[in-house]
Amino acid sequence: MKPRVAPAIFLGIPTVFLVGLFVLPLLSMLVLSVWRTENYHIIRDFSFHNYEVLATEGAYITFLVRSLVMASAVSLICTLLAWPIAYGITLYGGRYKLLFSLAFAVPFLTGEVLRIIALQGLLGPLGLLNGVLLSLGAAPLRVIMYTNVASAIGLVYLYLPIVVTVIYLSLLNFDQRLIDAATIFGASPARAFFEVTWPLNLFGTLIGFALCFIPCLSATLAPRFLGGPNGTLYGMAMAQQFGESGTWALGAAMGVVLFAVSVLLVVGVARLIDLRRTGFTGFGRG
Amino acid sequence: MAYIHLDGVSKQYGSVWAVDRVNMAIEKHEFVSLLGPSGSGKTTLLRIIAGLERPTTGRVLIDGEDVTELPPHKRGVAMVFQEFLLFPHRTVYENLAFPLRMLKLPKGEIEARVEWVVGILALRGLEKRYPNQLSGGQQQRVALGRGLVGRPKVLLLDEPLANLDRELRQEMEVEIRKHQTDLGIPFIYVTHNQEEALSMSDRIAVVRGGRIEDFASRTDIYDRPKTAFIAQFVGRSNRFTGTAATAGGTISLSGDGVRIETATRPGIADGERVAAYVKNEKVRLRPASAGGAGAANTLAATVRYVILRGAYAEYVLGWSGGELVASRPRSEAEFTEGAEVVACWDAADVDLFPAPEDGR
Repeated sequence: MKPRVAPAIFLGIPTVFLVGLFVLPLLSMLVLSVWRTENYHIIRDFSFHNYEVLATEGAYITFLVRSLVMASAVSLICTLLAWPIAYGITLYGGRYKLLFSLAFAVPFLTGEVLRIIALQGLLGPLGLLNGVLLSLGAAPLRVIMYTNVASAIGLVYLYLPIVVTVIYLSLLNFDQRLIDAATIFGASPARAFFEVTWPLNLFGTLIGFALCFIPCLSATLAPRFLGGPNGTLYGMAMAQQFGESGTWALGAAMGVVLFAVSVLLVVGVARLIDLRRTGFTGFGRG
Repeated sequence: MAYIHLDGVSKQYGSVWAVDRVNMAIEKHEFVSLLGPSGSGKTTLLRIIAGLERPTTGRVLIDGEDVTELPPHKRGVAMVFQEFLLFPHRTVYENLAFPLRMLKLPKGEIEARVEWVVGILALRGLEKRYPNQLSGGQQQRVALGRGLVGRPKVLLLDEPLANLDRELRQEMEVEIRKHQTDLGIPFIYVTHNQEEALSMSDRIAVVRGGRIEDFASRTDIYDRPKTAFIAQFVGRSNRFTGTAATAGGTISLSGDGVRIETATRPGIADGERVAAYVKNEKVRLRPASAGGAGAANTLAATVRYVILRGAYAEYVLGWSGGELVASRPRSEAEFTEGAEVVACWDAADVDLFPAPEDGR
């Protein structure tokens, strides 16, 4: 029996952790979402009323669609930016590779609020960018003044380091000599990229994409400080239910919707790609 | 005009010349090995031929065409790597079809060629597997198949058998040589393993410090080493050092109770420090009771250990100058450990060189 102790500990602790800090809160959200709140009191009537509101009221549908578009666009931009950055580090980083990848973690040393407010100072009407434009006698860039574009810039700024790090780690794990093999057997550098480099790093790229997409979907700070009047996103609206308006049950239902969308996304992607075709051997020899 | 020409090829890394003014001419039907210790520059030379490295100076010609400036994918060469480097996300079939797809061959042609390679390399039934579902030997066969399937102008092999166990390696040696003969394209084979080089090659280039020490037939390399390095590196030899004394067509060196004598050769002056090499299998043994221990090229010794190597017995002998190894067929009279013997060799089997500066 003795050898069973180690796996029990190593698998048991994460299990307890996940159940205690993830599954239970999620279940309580699920329960709360089918109750209702009135005058800051929770009333324990079972109904799908909250979901009906979310499915029928135009504003919530708009927020959700806007969030999905925003998260897709931001994740796509982050991925497109992160690839050349991460690839550049692996190819030309030399002995400073580690330093470069650490440099991307530096923004994490400050709080998210601070970073977003700093960005507000940069993009706002009196911000650095428009200030310079004005002092040069040019018209200010309206598109970055409290708009969804400003929100997107903020979100890209927030999550780019994560996507770069994930793709960088994927590339670090990738045997560059496979590119040699591909070119020897007649593939041009571009062809070798699409035959070998891309598929073998697709899995890492998707993880990077998801790690950007999911938090973007429930982003609250960037839209709040940068998004302006038409920039409300689903996550931000959800935060308001738990704050100013005190409609916790509706907020819980929004949380469940966000969770469901995220799960659907992950499952959808997992079904779409054949892990074998990404060189994934995590299943062991089979 | 030879099929492949290396013309003054050099490669500099920082201040180090990894490849130093290499000239080689390889014929179309040749199997050539680049044999050298690790770090001698043999792999860099191979990568230069492949186009994976650019030579600092010099030119590479394949089939009359100067390919020095051509990227690898336009050279029509193929390579088998030590680590196989199969595409892990592709099946065996797809790995084999890869070079053909790059050649944009029609589908039927691709199928036929893969089928051909699957046949000659005994890969049938494995087509749908992924590389990580194969044994090392099977992966090696797929890597070789991927190298052959596109009918390249030359196949470059970079220590392809280094990761296989001995038995499998010897099996593959025979197979590789057979395919080279059948296909009639040159194989350039990089190895640090002299047995591999000797078993397969028509000619062997011994590489040392980025330079070609000698490029000659395998029998010449083995039987008539041109330098002390080759004498030491190829085959297993016993080494004696001393001062040369020339007299009447013979040259001799004495020391430690043995006098070595052989025909004079140019390049060795009277009184010079020299090293003499005698291959293990050239040393003959007879019982001490037979006498004659005082003659030239003869020494008295005691058998310390006997190592059995199948058809051969290796006798590790102790004598006044140190240790000596004699490798004898088992069909001969055998000696036991502790036996007193007389070891001798022919004057013609002595290879003599000026002693290397490092004094080893």
